[in-house]
Amino acid sequence: MPLLDIRNLTIELDTPHGRVKALERVSLTINPGELHGLVGESGSGRTLLARAILGVPGHNWTITADRMMWDGLNLMDMSAKQRRNLMGSEIAVIFQDPTGSLDPAISVGSQLIEAMPKDKQVSFWKRNKARKATAQKWLHKVGIKNTEEVMSSYAWELSAGECQKVMIAMAIANQPRLLIADEPTDSMELSTQAQIFRLLSKLNQLHNVSILLISHELDTLSGWCDRLTVLYSGQVMESGPTVEVLEQPFHPYTKALLDNMPDYSGALAHKSMMQTLPGSAPALQHLPIGCRLGPRCPQAQKRCVSKPSLCHKKDRYFACHFPYHSEPCNDDTTS
Amino acid sequence: MGRYLLRRLNLFLATSFVLIAVLFITTSYFPTSKVVALTGITEPTAEQLQNIETTYQLNGNQLEQFFAYAKARLSGDLGVSITSQRPVIEELTQALPASFELAIVSGLIAVLLGVPLGVFASLSKNKVTQHSIMAITLTGYSIPVFWLGLTLSLWFGVKLGWLPVSGRLNQLYEVEPVTGFMLTDTILWESVYRFSAFKDALFHIILPSITLAVLPFTVVVRITRAAMLNIMEQPYIKAAEARGLHTSTIVLRHALPNALIPVLKNMGLMLGTFASYAMIVEVIFSWPGVGSWLVSGIYQRDYTVIQGGVLGVALTIIFLSILIEVIHNAYNPLSRKELYAAN
Repeated sequence: MPLLDIRNLTIELDTPHGRVKALERVSLTINPGELHGLVGESGSGRTLLARAILGVPGHNWTITADRMMWDGLNLMDMSAKQRRNLMGSEIAVIFQDPTGSLDPAISVGSQLIEAMPKDKQVSFWKRNKARKATAQKWLHKVGIKNTEEVMSSYAWELSAGECQKVMIAMAIANQPRLLIADEPTDSMELSTQAQIFRLLSKLNQLHNVSILLISHELDTLSGWCDRLTVLYSGQVMESGPTVEVLEQPFHPYTKALLDNMPDYSGALAHKSMMQTLPGSAPALQHLPIGCRLGPRCPQAQKRCVSKPSLCHKKDRYFACHFPYHSEPCNDDTTS
Repeated sequence: MGRYLLRRLNLFLATSFVLIAVLFITTSYFPTSKVVALTGITEPTAEQLQNIETTYQLNGNQLEQFFAYAKARLSGDLGVSITSQRPVIEELTQALPASFELAIVSGLIAVLLGVPLGVFASLSKNKVTQHSIMAITLTGYSIPVFWLGLTLSLWFGVKLGWLPVSGRLNQLYEVEPVTGFMLTDTILWESVYRFSAFKDALFHIILPSITLAVLPFTVVVRITRAAMLNIMEQPYIKAAEARGLHTSTIVLRHALPNALIPVLKNMGLMLGTFASYAMIVEVIFSWPGVGSWLVSGIYQRDYTVIQGGVLGVALTIIFLSILIEVIHNAYNPLSRKELYAAN
């Protein structure tokens, strides 16, 4: 049974320009112990998806889904209190903006201690000390050496990288079953990035934590993830095991992303054009109908004005009328 | 921080210096002889006149006169009141505690009721509750304080007869002043009637303090609500929610401390308005504080009382606004960031 199973999740935002579908019929399946990569450009709705899974929607959101199951439980039926109980203990998240995600008026240490698990075994007068010790232990694990100094500082006194590490420590301290990492290494130098990814994959291997890794860098994700889901403009383009997706992309967008990756073999002539799709990702108030890649897609034809449904082919999913290396599903005439 | 405190102290001294200079200049414009305006002695003897001339350097130039004036005023010599012929400083120190008592009680009412109501208004999902709270606070904000005071005393004092409408304490009780605050003095009073005296003092303070509290209360509610609405959308609140913290923990530990920062700042800005409102309220309820003392001094052309009252009130306001700013900075780590950046 998959740990998280989402079918046709749609998030509509109420904006001054009317209601827009920021996320349209997104499906996502995460199996236990899986490192799942979610790749997409900024503005493609990755963070919206993460927040919808977690259950912290914004005030102008309308969420509809055919199915949203967490380990056999229906997330849509749960009360706000039950969702809150899941958060932190079973599902944890690392947000994109680390400095902004820490309260500026309280020291980092007290927020960290607040997030540490409460150990009922320890008698209450020792509990604070124990929680402080755990906090320090987790800070060490994420690679912060001067723990005392970091814990007594305020969020704005630390660098973004340090804040991000603190956020990671908070997220993993409760040993969640699913960790949603939204650009966890956004503001870090390369060596720290590798360190964080190693930490995440160690967590995945040793504690069997499933991880949803959100990023815009396909090459980093491809190195760490078991499965990939490609998101474009709020629609799922393709999903499947990383190796297969990289080897033989079905969807034109995935192929374009792979072509974008610079290879340093020197085959490219000096000052020649980089391989990219024409145009740019559409703004939220100017979304095209049907397949949102349509206007930019090299394969697009008349049929692309209707949204292709998600095809299932041997562990791989794709939503395209004219896929590479494969036949389109024939059940999508109605959609 | 030490350097910052020194700078604030410097600001206090400079502002007070300007205040004394303004007072000195206006004193020379009072339509009376300079001797009377400075000391309040209407018919000085030759000896007194000699004394006054040496103290205030009346034969020297303006600068010498100013420094002599500043020296006299800062050493606590505010002259005597023209009407009562008692030292002004004595009257001022008697009136100040009454004003402080009223201000503290109204301030407490405003903050202790205003902050929770503001938080409640911001968290409430019910449109009717939200709008009615906003409507009530807007009404309270726009009601003129003199009308409100008179109406309250008419209803609760005269028509219903529940509460006394003037003074601080019934004349029956002869309480010896210890702190100057009637509420504590009655408790400290060595008498069998101390609790009935305390109750009486409490009844006396209800109407004036509520009248005075209406304006700061509405401001506190509105600012707390606006700040809370803003802060509840901040990423760190979302992150705290995502960590699975309880809503009450989020509000009390993360949202409220951040929301109180603008409230504190606005209280500093409101001090001047608050002080002038306090004077009006004191006059309406015959509260024997600085306000009513100063207003009666103005009516009676009591120039020394006017000077002394203005000096006392203005110094208090300057001191308190600087104090609030210092507290604001000590309490708000974010403004310390700006301070260090500025240095």
